[in-house]
Amino acid sequence: MTAETRVRPVTELDLDAITRIDERITGRYRPEVWEQRVVYYIRRDPDAPKVAERDGTVVGFMLGEVRGGEFGLEEPTGWIEFFGVDPSARGGGIGRKLVDALLDHFRSRGAHVARTVVASRDAEIASFLKANGFTTAPLEALERTL
Amino acid sequence: MTDEIRVDLPKPYHDAVEHWQRHNFPDYPRLAEVWDKYFPRDQEFCLCARIQQGMPEVIEVGELVGKPKAKQPAHLDPEAAQILLGQIRAQASTEFGSIQQHTGTLHRAADPQDQAWALRVMAEELRHGYQMLHLLVSQDWSPVTDTKPADMVEEILGMQTGSHLLAAFNLEFDSFLDNVVFAAFIDRVGKYQLTMQKISAYQPYATSMPPMLKEEAFHLAAGVVPLRRWVEQAARGDALIDMAAIQKSCTKWFCRGLEMFGDDRSDSHGGEDSVRLGLKDMTNRQAQDAYIAEVTHMLDDLNTRYVRAKRPDLSRDDADALYARIVKTRSDEGGVGFADLLRLPDRRFFRRRGDGAFQMWGFDGERFDDVETYIKHVASHLPEAYRASVDVRHWADMLRKVHRNEVTLKDAIKSMPRLARVGGGCPCSNSVRWVNA
Repeated sequence: MTAETRVRPVTELDLDAITRIDERITGRYRPEVWEQRVVYYIRRDPDAPKVAERDGTVVGFMLGEVRGGEFGLEEPTGWIEFFGVDPSARGGGIGRKLVDALLDHFRSRGAHVARTVVASRDAEIASFLKANGFTTAPLEALERTL
Repeated sequence: MTDEIRVDLPKPYHDAVEHWQRHNFPDYPRLAEVWDKYFPRDQEFCLCARIQQGMPEVIEVGELVGKPKAKQPAHLDPEAAQILLGQIRAQASTEFGSIQQHTGTLHRAADPQDQAWALRVMAEELRHGYQMLHLLVSQDWSPVTDTKPADMVEEILGMQTGSHLLAAFNLEFDSFLDNVVFAAFIDRVGKYQLTMQKISAYQPYATSMPPMLKEEAFHLAAGVVPLRRWVEQAARGDALIDMAAIQKSCTKWFCRGLEMFGDDRSDSHGGEDSVRLGLKDMTNRQAQDAYIAEVTHMLDDLNTRYVRAKRPDLSRDDADALYARIVKTRSDEGGVGFADLLRLPDRRFFRRRGDGAFQMWGFDGERFDDVETYIKHVASHLPEAYRASVDVRHWADMLRKVHRNEVTLKDAIKSMPRLARVGGGCPCSNSVRWVNA
């Protein structure tokens, strides 16, 4: 029987679990990077960033927040900025539950739109987001080598 | 986008808090100077009461479940009103008290970020104290107490380290290590209290809790994140920090933190009245059990990071397995000593109230028969500077008297050491009326 997934806000005690999930995905162990990132969200709106737990173990995370006024987009926007699901726990709907929980929070904070940016090489992520209702935005991501 | 409203205290009280700040928290203006560097894009700090909107309007627990929450003290059950007033006074005392404690060692931070984080924690505690004063002065408490609002505020603002209501706020910090460990342990108790009170049958109190809890989440991080770095430095042999110093500070604060839950004896029914009256949703013991589980998890996290740094040659999984074996066997292995790992003492160790108060329970739950041997045992687990304090001396004296039957256990539990202060606190911060004048 599959264990039930529980989604809840991130706390400072989830830092190690998030760091290890990132390491399993990217091969890089970066505790200091995740400390700064996670504390950024905790101090601004600690109810926004989410983790998913199964049997008391954190198996996924999704970090984001509501901001407005960036890129000429004045309306409150729910930005999804970091997420990851432990490779060993994929395929069980964890990512969808994280998206649902974060979008619910965005709505509660007055956002009517959620946005994110996906690198074109990350087809799997783009596919996941499209399966969760995201569509191509009328925005263009630009860059210039420096 | 906002789901809360912000309110200022009436001017005399607002001025009194600012006056208190100038005397007790002189570093407060520095927060604005460092805000953009350490908290870029965060909403500017506001010294105001923040009231959450959209909270439940009916009682959520206890024997009056489903009835409308009280919006004024007079609408509360008289017993509930008395307990609630005690909760607000105690909460206010902790908020102002913690600032007085942090102030003494704030300048000793070795890392500017750690110091900026502590500074923000202090400012937010000031706001929490302000919020509690708002609860006392914005409603009519005359059906509950003969004490006038100005006198209640004056009493709270007149408290000093040594005269606060809870023991944890009457201990002085010995070093910046205490600033950080305090945030990790004592602010965590605060989180539990605020979470329990979020369902309060008194609507203005319940609506004060969510904004405070949001800020408290950062306070816990301001404790845990520096500790995560320090255990790693200790593992690498940094001469300036070691696990023994961290352990002793954890022991100092954990024991006092447990007492903040109130009477936690399993047969005492502590906190049941608050649950029955709809003021909290957990008894003292239930909340304390959850707290102990959480701080156990926190120490596991710190120990894991220590072992990984101590054995960088191992994979993370192998280092974690090594840690699990050391904990299980309580023995040294692979160059990592069991004694180097952080541990919680038995919940009855070095207690002055509640479960195990003035009984001789050892760090690992062992029993002692001889008072002097026990005092030496406790002292060996405490930070050197704290060991020499009037606080520990008072506890040792009381322990001796209890065991010689010179003082009853009840009187010993009530007893609190007073820190002698030449001239006492700032005389002007003692009086709201002074500010009026």
